[in-house]
Amino acid sequence: MKLLLNLVRKDFKRNRVITTALAVFLILSAIFMAGGLRVTGIMLSSLNGLNKMAVPPEYVQMHKGDYDEQAVADFVAQQDYLEDALVVRMLDVNNAQIICNGESLEKCLMDKGLVTQNENFDYLLDQNNQIAIVKDGEIGVPVYYAEDLNINVGDTIVLQNGAYQKKFKVATIIRDSTMNSSLSYSKRFLISTNDLNEVALHMGEWEYCFEFLLKEGVSTTVLENAYLAAGLPSNGVAVTAAIFNMINAFSYGLVALVILVISLLLITMSVLCLSYIIRATLAEENHAIGEMKAIGIPAKDIIKLYQIKYTIMVVGAGMIGYLAAIPFGDFFSATVIRYCGDGSSQWMQWITPLVGIVLLSLFVIYRCHRIIQKHLKRTVMELIRGEENTKQEGHYRLPAKALKAYNLSMALGELKCKWKENVVIFLIFVFSSFLILLPMNMNNTINNPVFLTYMGIGKSDVRIDIQYSNNLEQQKEEAIAYLENDPDIERYTVYQNGYVQSQNVEGEWEYVRVQNGDNGVFPLEYLEGKAPTEKNDLALSYLNAVDLGKKVGDAITIIYQGKEHVYNVCGIYQDITYGGKTAKAAIDFDRKDIEGYMIYLDLREGIDIDNHVTKMRTVLPNSKITPCDAFVFQTLSSVIANMNQVQGVAAVISLMLTILITVMFLQLMMAREHSAIALKKAIGFSTRDIQIQLGIRLLVIQVLAIIAGTLLANTLGEVIFAGMLATVGVTKIKLLIAPLWAYLLCPAVQLGVVVMTVIIGTNTVGSYHIRDQIME
Amino acid sequence: MIKIEGISKSFKDTNVLNDISFGIEKGDFTAVMGPSGSGKSTLLYSVSGMDKISAGQVIFEGINISALSEEELASFRLTKMGFVFQNAQMLKNLTIYDNIILPGLVAKKELPEKIRKLASELMRRMAISGIENRDIKEVSGGQLQRASICRAMINNPEILFLDEPTGALNSEATDQVLEILEELNNEGMTIMIVTHDPRVAAKAKRVLYIRDGQIAASKELRKGGDSVLELDNWLKGLQFNNSQTS
Ligand SMILES: Nc1ncnc2c1ncn2[C@@H]1O[C@H](COP(=O)(O)OP(=O)(O)O)[C@@H](O)[C@H]1O
Ligand SMILES: [Mg+2]
Repeated sequence: MKLLLNLVRKDFKRNRVITTALAVFLILSAIFMAGGLRVTGIMLSSLNGLNKMAVPPEYVQMHKGDYDEQAVADFVAQQDYLEDALVVRMLDVNNAQIICNGESLEKCLMDKGLVTQNENFDYLLDQNNQIAIVKDGEIGVPVYYAEDLNINVGDTIVLQNGAYQKKFKVATIIRDSTMNSSLSYSKRFLISTNDLNEVALHMGEWEYCFEFLLKEGVSTTVLENAYLAAGLPSNGVAVTAAIFNMINAFSYGLVALVILVISLLLITMSVLCLSYIIRATLAEENHAIGEMKAIGIPAKDIIKLYQIKYTIMVVGAGMIGYLAAIPFGDFFSATVIRYCGDGSSQWMQWITPLVGIVLLSLFVIYRCHRIIQKHLKRTVMELIRGEENTKQEGHYRLPAKALKAYNLSMALGELKCKWKENVVIFLIFVFSSFLILLPMNMNNTINNPVFLTYMGIGKSDVRIDIQYSNNLEQQKEEAIAYLENDPDIERYTVYQNGYVQSQNVEGEWEYVRVQNGDNGVFPLEYLEGKAPTEKNDLALSYLNAVDLGKKVGDAITIIYQGKEHVYNVCGIYQDITYGGKTAKAAIDFDRKDIEGYMIYLDLREGIDIDNHVTKMRTVLPNSKITPCDAFVFQTLSSVIANMNQVQGVAAVISLMLTILITVMFLQLMMAREHSAIALKKAIGFSTRDIQIQLGIRLLVIQVLAIIAGTLLANTLGEVIFAGMLATVGVTKIKLLIAPLWAYLLCPAVQLGVVVMTVIIGTNTVGSYHIRDQIME
Repeated sequence: MIKIEGISKSFKDTNVLNDISFGIEKGDFTAVMGPSGSGKSTLLYSVSGMDKISAGQVIFEGINISALSEEELASFRLTKMGFVFQNAQMLKNLTIYDNIILPGLVAKKELPEKIRKLASELMRRMAISGIENRDIKEVSGGQLQRASICRAMINNPEILFLDEPTGALNSEATDQVLEILEELNNEGMTIMIVTHDPRVAAKAKRVLYIRDGQIAASKELRKGGDSVLELDNWLKGLQFNNSQTS
């Protein structure tokens, strides 16, 4: 053992740079692997913990306006698959009427409701994951606002409507198992029952949430259909547990997924490096291997001898990676912990990365074993047959005419002859540019307004929602009257929403939310087909198409007002609004059947959207007016913040690896070609010439690799990204690329890094003793 | 043409060359002999500027080459010096012919057509025509060594440096190389050669015997007069034992 350690130490001394580079690769792979799994572990534990304590409802139907309390109670009593039910009273307050630390929350686009603590389930929790309790005069603020507006316990929130004013002291920060995420459209503030009753006298509008827990194994569809069939209050959206889960997976899981994808990339790169290095170092050991064979050491032991170094490195890297993943993983888990708490199964954050590291180590060790085994077999055969290991590389020809840029010609020529040696570095460069571009493109896509269209929202400057109100028509007329006379409006379109019924694959009749209006003005991105143009065209959201088992071109029968109508499925689009289940068709809804109006509008060039929205809000105080860009930014803010960090880390890591790999390959190249380099110097090439030649070779490889990496990021990257987004119902996505960054700045930085590394890394060529090399 | 003035060379703490001075005139044919490890090669590399010397100076046609920059030295080697090494060194990604013309094309002293013509002529003279397009592994050691001489000659250098060029050759190949060297020298080429083979040294006009980093003895050889035997005896007198050097 001591002998082996000695051998390893000596080997390390001899190949310091290469060993270090390899170690860094392995350690980074381990860190990302363990880190990604740690984030995953923490996330699962957090979400489980929160759900266990808060017990979120499995089906929620929102409703604005009065309702028949007896009918609801009867319904609950009749449905024997219900575990429990709850009616939550929520007082919706206009954002402008909430003043926090002296500033109104007008700019916040999410709805805000005041509630009291629930009984039996759907609890609002405090920062210790205990059921939050607020006394009179106190308020519990959702984490999202605590984070976004930097509200702390002890701050003051004032509700104000005209002369009425009510002061609250922030007593706790609330975790809400259903509305935590920034992707959720509204947020709940917790106050005491006395306060709620008092405030309700002066401001706000009541909204009711009918919440249900189902018995084990019962599908929400059963409840959904029974509910709608019973004609119970439904003046608002219905949300299922599946949607809560999707939103959570997207909010907290995306980062973990990205980190894991990066770790897979790093592992691939490490294994490539490893195989290259093992082959390169073993090639120098042919003689020693031959001798060992000659004195009768069994092949197994020889493999072990060479394996030991890599095993030690892998195990060491695994341990370092596991430890380093603790702060690394915690950094990227800060959001989920803040929003959901530490959770109930904290062992997961220790065990999942451990399992990952063990598997990773075993995999790498196995790869090493195979590579050494293969090499040994070949070497022994060659030794027996007395063959030389040096294979012919082929020639390049000097030009018939003058050799103008001789360094360029020679570098290209040598590259042509030695391309096999360069496959590995090429692949590693491909992956490292992929590594920079993938998170960057994903981030850019999420940040791009066009991303909205993938989520089912037409691309427009501003959206006006007129919903859940008793005088929809009047509000709509007001809005149109205003829009017609506002010279700053470029164009607008009004859509109506209503429900029809259609049969799903199991033959059950389901309610389908249909939007009616000119779908050509603010178009969506269609997966297949096109927007409805004909009278009996109908477009389905992807999830609805799956649910109803329809393809483009199929006929679909719908029931509206008790009559059957046959429509033609003309297109399928992606949507995440309303649980991803929507449709678009020219259905002539009766006024009384209209659930709400939605107006999309574009402002004229040069009009400031934010300012204009503020102006519109004063004119149309009862409608919800949303600037779309800001909306995406607010809904995706937590995801974007994390993605920015991941993008930064990935870029730094990738550049670091580029430097490392360049240094490492330069070393290997110079070692392998030392006699050729010495000869070139002897016949009159300067150190600079040789540096330039090595540099050109690396840069040509890198340029090709960057091109390949960019293509890969656009194609494979799109597939990976779509796979991630599939959890929220987005199946197809086009990566939106910022050309300046992706095609110019990034490659430039990567090339620059390599140029600098080559200049520094090849400086040793100057100190090469020509004769030493030549004499060998 | 070259003045070597009190040069010393040490690696870390071992002194390999110790205050050596001599001169090389145009048309000289100097052979350097001595026991293995005595510093013969070191002397050759120091004189040609490939090794930095620790003390003293080498004046090449009035230029102190120890003071030249790396870049200037490289162009010096390219245009004014030719080198031949023991194990004929050639770039393996080029054919024999391209290896020979490469320094010519890089130096651009002549037009490419002239360089190509010169290369063909040199190859014919060295009796290696016909191997132009071969790989360096596809020719014999003697052929390869003669090709290296062609390459060394391609830029019409002022001086040819050879470090044991026949060390790895059989006697027939050695003879061929020697013949060429003699012929080149007769045409006026200045030559400095390191060897431990008296048969090779016998072709020179002067033999320097190095021991312990110094010129222990030197001997002028008469043109066509001194035989190998005579040189052998001189060397024996210096307690040189051929068998030591293998
Ligand atoms: N790069 C070097 N570093 C240290 N010692 C060296 C180096 N090169 C040569 N030497 C030493 O210098 C001495 C002379 O070497 P060399 O000139 O090659 O001898 P010769 O050519 O006469 O056989 C030897 O003892 C050798 O070990
Ligand atoms: Mg020598």
